[in-house]
Amino acid sequence: MAYLENSMSADKQKAYEGLNKIGRGAYGTVYKAKDKQTGNDVALKKVCVPLDEDGIPMSTLREIALLRQLNSHDHPNIVKLLDICHGQQVGQDLVMFLVFEHIEQDLATYIEKNPKGFSTLQIRQLSRDILNGVDFLHSNRVIHRDLKPQNLLVTYDGHVKLADFGLAKTYDFDMKLTSVVVTLWYRAPEVLLGLSYATPVDIWSIGCIIVELYSLKPIFCGSSEGDQLSKIFRLLGKPAKHEWPEENTSIKWNSFDVINQITLGQFCPYICETAQDLIMGMLTFDPNKRMTALDALNHKYFKEEPINT
Amino acid sequence: MPGWYYDKKELRSTPSSQDGIDYKTEMRYRKEGARLIIDTGSKMDLGYNTMATGVVYYHRFYMFHSFKQFPRYVTACCCLFLAGKVEETPKKCKDIIKTARSLLTDQKFATFGEDPKEEVMTLERILLQTIKFDLQVEHPYQYLLKYAKCLKGDKVKLQKMVQMAWTFVNDSLCTTLALQWEPEIIAVALMYLAGKLSKFEVVDWIGRTSKHIRWWDMFVEDVTMELLEDICHQVLDLYSQTDANNTPDSPPLQSQKATNQPPPVSTQRSSNGNEKVVSPDQPPPVNVKVPPPSSDVPPFPYQTFTGAPPPVASYATPFAAPMGAPPVVAAPPHLTGPPPGPPPHITAPPPTVFSQYVNHPPPFTAVVPPGAPPFFSANAPPPNQPHRPYYPPPT
Ligand SMILES: Nc1ncnc2c1ncn2[C@@H]1O[C@H](COP(=O)(O)OP(=O)(O)O)[C@@H](O)[C@H]1O
Ligand SMILES: [Mg+2]
Repeated sequence: MAYLENSMSADKQKAYEGLNKIGRGAYGTVYKAKDKQTGNDVALKKVCVPLDEDGIPMSTLREIALLRQLNSHDHPNIVKLLDICHGQQVGQDLVMFLVFEHIEQDLATYIEKNPKGFSTLQIRQLSRDILNGVDFLHSNRVIHRDLKPQNLLVTYDGHVKLADFGLAKTYDFDMKLTSVVVTLWYRAPEVLLGLSYATPVDIWSIGCIIVELYSLKPIFCGSSEGDQLSKIFRLLGKPAKHEWPEENTSIKWNSFDVINQITLGQFCPYICETAQDLIMGMLTFDPNKRMTALDALNHKYFKEEPINT
Repeated sequence: MPGWYYDKKELRSTPSSQDGIDYKTEMRYRKEGARLIIDTGSKMDLGYNTMATGVVYYHRFYMFHSFKQFPRYVTACCCLFLAGKVEETPKKCKDIIKTARSLLTDQKFATFGEDPKEEVMTLERILLQTIKFDLQVEHPYQYLLKYAKCLKGDKVKLQKMVQMAWTFVNDSLCTTLALQWEPEIIAVALMYLAGKLSKFEVVDWIGRTSKHIRWWDMFVEDVTMELLEDICHQVLDLYSQTDANNTPDSPPLQSQKATNQPPPVSTQRSSNGNEKVVSPDQPPPVNVKVPPPSSDVPPFPYQTFTGAPPPVASYATPFAAPMGAPPVVAAPPHLTGPPPGPPPHITAPPPTVFSQYVNHPPPFTAVVPPGAPPFFSANAPPPNQPHRPYYPPPT
């Protein structure tokens, strides 16, 4: 039976040609290729699945199942997963390829390519797309957990699709063992504090990203968990002692001294008041008081007549 | 996303048929594989969702491969193994093989080769590729429960009807219905069948509007009576098949062999007019230990089949749902208040399914959650299995 398996996976790979490395994240390599059958460009994400004594681990299968399930809804703000195929077994790992529709660029590149910045209209459109995608994930009880410009793809006509959720995240554990630096800049306070967390972490990240759409630079660039938190407190102010989570955290309230407090307006003068109100609703320290994706979509920021500046 | 539904013509031109296996034999192979999944799963206390998922993988797999190339019992074990992981009820591969072995003859188990575990593990990847990693499968059960909650009428009869429909859903796994119709439609059809056979006529339901002629109009669109009849007959045909287990190619499962007494045989005219042989003890005598409920409710569908088969004509008559008639029956109490405990006669079959199994091989009894109509029981599955968050919170 083994020979059959190999010939099958070989068949699969022949369906795509011209592998070009386009991205290298913390977890896997992404290639651009052409689907020979349709002629469409695809993005192949190579991931290694560690096999255990009982084959493909349950967590991996669960995530694939959910990824598939989510995709069956064909949501316009979620990158489309076209196929999954597995390649050879390398040592204890099984190499798998996730085949996605190929999207022009990620948001990080898009920002870089637009040094003059975006119009209010564009920002509103991008923000709405991100929130729509995240609202969809959250209503399916899925937390993205790693929203950042590199994981948001922007189509040629300026729409956003969420990418990079699911599968790769089973590697969180391994990640700590490797030297790969994962950015802390979009992480919510509860994550930095090592507390349990849920869907509000994504809203925090979106808040950071919307600011960045205005300012073109990340708002909180910490170099460690503690540093990241103190940068956050410069904007939010240090939470009162009673607001500090009771849950056990190794990071103590006393260890922060907030100096050089700034306001959002000082950080980026282009953000209008309505937008500031929305953003501060998302950048709320207490996850329970933070806006939800649906709250945000219903915010007056998205209802007002567009003011093009 | 690939479509997983096929029409009848496609179901007759499968890789197996191109490999020279005739349709009847293929259907038997499908049934036997499904049975092994259910029997093995029951013996290992796996839930009905896990078993049903495994069976759906199995049927899909053989839309792409021939039974000649992939022996059915190995595939069956592999499907159950994979379904266990996907449904978060994982079982060790070696334990599944061990259990399956206890249910198979040595001759059948020989198809697992020298190293059965290796065989199943290798097949896992072929299976995944074949079913295109489309692992999340929905089953009629959840819809059955959802729909039942909306039906008004005599509570005991409703319970009986749901119990019966639940069993039909179990049995439908042995057919290729899951390759033909969405779970919603199968649920409607089998509730329709159960309603007919248990004489539970649905005249009113929650959420009814003047547009609804039949209760299912609320849930599914464009479902014709012909379609419902067709689905019902595919399930009913299971009970009227000759016992294929007696063919030399496919000896009966050991546990059955030991206890299979020559069944009294009767004939019945099946829907398509063919004379068929019926063995009365083939279906699960779920109610054997159950004191009969009120006399106007037939004890169980199978006795109805084997004793007094429902007249096809009346069965085919659509419900006469008087349009605009005032609601006759108030909502059953379980819909407004906390669910009452199951009435005593419904709590059967008790967990002693297996001793019962030895006496009367009920094909699927164990799949029915003990303490049947699950929506009355405290540990009933939630009607809509919520999706788990992708990322479990760090511990
Ligand atoms: N579908 C796609 N189309 C185009 N580029 C993509 C696509 N998916 C990913 N990329 C590029 O590859 C990078 C890494 O992919 P990602 O899925 O985020 O993997 P990782 O888990 O390694 O971060 C992304 O930041 C993006 O630039
Ligand atoms: Mg990424």
